[in-house]
Amino acid sequence: MKSYSLKLKKQISEVFIIKPNDLGSQFLTYWFKKSTLFLKQFPFLYLIPLATLIAFLVYLFLGKKIVFITTFLQYGF
Amino acid sequence: MVFKKKVIIDIIASFILVIRNFFFLIVFPYKRMRKISLEKDYWQVFFIFLLVFIYFKLAYSLRHVTYPAFFTFFVFLVNFFLMIGFFYGVGKFFNRKIKKTSLVFTFSYSLLPTLIWFFMTLFFYFILPPPRTFSLMGRMFSIFFITFSLTVLFWKLILFYLALRFSTGLSFFKIFYLISLFLLWYAPYSILLYYFKIFRVPFI
Repeated sequence: MKSYSLKLKKQISEVFIIKPNDLGSQFLTYWFKKSTLFLKQFPFLYLIPLATLIAFLVYLFLGKKIVFITTFLQYGF
Repeated sequence: MVFKKKVIIDIIASFILVIRNFFFLIVFPYKRMRKISLEKDYWQVFFIFLLVFIYFKLAYSLRHVTYPAFFTFFVFLVNFFLMIGFFYGVGKFFNRKIKKTSLVFTFSYSLLPTLIWFFMTLFFYFILPPPRTFSLMGRMFSIFFITFSLTVLFWKLILFYLALRFSTGLSFFKIFYLISLFLLWYAPYSILLYYFKIFRVPFI
């Protein structure tokens, strides 16, 4: 029982190590919290579709030039 | 003898913790970065740096890049501690309670996407060596590679932001100013490193 309460105490103090984010206006803070909520747990669920969409858009706008970008990046290491 | 055994157990435990933290940074980046910001076990930083060194060694032996692994690793260390020094120094203007250890741990763990990208690029370099062609397969691989790179980049941005958020305790806009100030000197510095062929893509 004691160990559980210690664990809880530790977790609570961990949650409050920083102040909640404040963006200056209530509206902005509200929307910031709403939009970042999805990124706190397994962000890849949203990041992969977003990255795929952007990659397709890049392909649509640049066409074959996308190949040059990839080649440049592949030499990047 | 007992002392040696304890040290070895500590080292193994740190290694397991690094793997555990890597996994949790994928699934719960926010919660895990918060926990990492309270870490004090420097063996974990050692293992992350060891991974970075292994990458440089691999890149040097497989691709015969211009500079030896020790030199590239040294430049990486200079970059890393310059970055931490900058965020510590400038962040102190906004918040006096910034901890150096917290910055070291969070930024070390934010190297995970960087390591994944560089290791994967090294792997793809040998599986499908550049230059890419305009064929259907070439274009398809290009879209895949850019999707992969963007996903890792977004993840890196999240971890970078969280590293600053938990180690400085600053709000979103102040972190935004800090990153903008950082980019003011880091962007020309990266171009300089590119010019000297040390890092083509910044190892940050």
